[in-house]
Amino acid sequence: MLCEVCGKNHATTHIRSVIDGVVTEKNLCGYCAAKEGYTGFAQNGLADMLASVLGDVLASGSPVAENRCSCCGAKFSDIAQTGKVGCAKCYQTFYNELLPYLKRVHGSTTHSGKIPNRAPLVAQQQEETVDSLRMKLNELVREERFEEAAKVRDKIKKLEEES
Amino acid sequence: MGSWYCEQSNENPLVISTRIRLARNLSDIPFPSRMNEEQRKDLCHRVEKAVSESNSPFSKSLKFIDMKDVPENERFAMVERHVVSHGFVADNRTRALILSDDESISIMVGEEDHLRIQVLLPGLQLEKAYDIAEQLDTLLGDQLHFAFDDRLGFLTECPTNLGTGLRASVMLHLPVMESRGEIAALADSVGKIGFTVRGLYGEGTKAAASLYQISNQITLGISEKNALDNLKIITTQLVEKEQQEQKTLNRLQMEDLCMRAYGVLQNARMMSSEEMMKLLSRIQLGQRMGILNSPVSPIQLLVEGQPYMLMRRFGQMGADERDLYRANMIRDKFGS
Repeated sequence: MLCEVCGKNHATTHIRSVIDGVVTEKNLCGYCAAKEGYTGFAQNGLADMLASVLGDVLASGSPVAENRCSCCGAKFSDIAQTGKVGCAKCYQTFYNELLPYLKRVHGSTTHSGKIPNRAPLVAQQQEETVDSLRMKLNELVREERFEEAAKVRDKIKKLEEES
Repeated sequence: MGSWYCEQSNENPLVISTRIRLARNLSDIPFPSRMNEEQRKDLCHRVEKAVSESNSPFSKSLKFIDMKDVPENERFAMVERHVVSHGFVADNRTRALILSDDESISIMVGEEDHLRIQVLLPGLQLEKAYDIAEQLDTLLGDQLHFAFDDRLGFLTECPTNLGTGLRASVMLHLPVMESRGEIAALADSVGKIGFTVRGLYGEGTKAAASLYQISNQITLGISEKNALDNLKIITTQLVEKEQQEQKTLNRLQMEDLCMRAYGVLQNARMMSSEEMMKLLSRIQLGQRMGILNSPVSPIQLLVEGQPYMLMRRFGQMGADERDLYRANMIRDKFGS
């Protein structure tokens, strides 16, 4: 397929955009894509691949494309187009949308390896489940940290009452 | 200790260098492509503070460099020495570099991720390089609180680096496998197990001087140790294969090829970087096969003869003039 703009080069960048639910498609060569502001496509092989993989979801006019990250304001369509995630919070906001693509790129969706010493912000914000709290409780009791254990026990109680 | 290209080991002459890179981000500012100038300055300031306060054994040898203060020739010469990435120096926004005296440690601040911690050592030293990078990561992470998610690991701008954020790579000299057209098959087979083969200057560049970088692609779901072990196994196998194939070469033909290269390097008055790399690759092979016994390190010369490395040393000049200076420098080294 030839590039829609110059009509000379082979189209290597395929852009699908959804504006107010209307899907438009463009097939451009790397040069014209860069000229139209779709930079990073021509040079960055991996980001390009990822963008094309993520872009599939946009073709269906999926409503998730309109959600914005509360921290950086990125939409899922921004991530899909550039292959770049906006901020750490985006991984929470678009977790479900990203998951199938992480699976395709890495063959896995769960981290294995180093865990940093201090619990960072994102980890703290994660939802605590009764199971994870019970594990924490056991650990605290084993370490004889009873005051903290009591707080965790109260949390479990509260969660169980809510459900 | 000097830079990686000045310290070529004889222990495993096929493995030129080992590089470890960890991608890390702060959790409270957007990733670099969404950062404004103010946030960039804030990031550089916070990293500088964390390094100076980390009280690590490294911090004494580390210096903080504002990339705006680095002249263009030196910036691109850093790329040629593998200290920083091309994307990092081509960008004009606020960026900083933390660099050790021997340049084995470099931390790019404001590249594709907030921090790219890199350790670059000569020869095959995967464990040692990772150890240093990991210590730096821990020291800085304690103060900067890197973005981390229990399920997804270290969070990165490009999801291809998510998880460990680790890119481990080794640079190998594979002239015999290359001459037999085996590199495409190699790329294909390592690709199936999550590794990639690239040329001397990284992504998208064609291999020069038969130098190839093998690195892991998968960072999520595989631990650092497993990724390093796998890379070590691949490297060992490639070294064995190249050495086996080297034994099957016609000795006389190889002597002829190496000595001709030597003759040209000793006598040429003008030399392009392409020609230099081709000839130095033959000298490297000749030294390995015991054909040539010259104290000159072809790898050191190859790096020092790159365009910006020359201009950093001899001043701004055009391509023709560079070819002249390059030939002079090489003739000096080979003593004729």
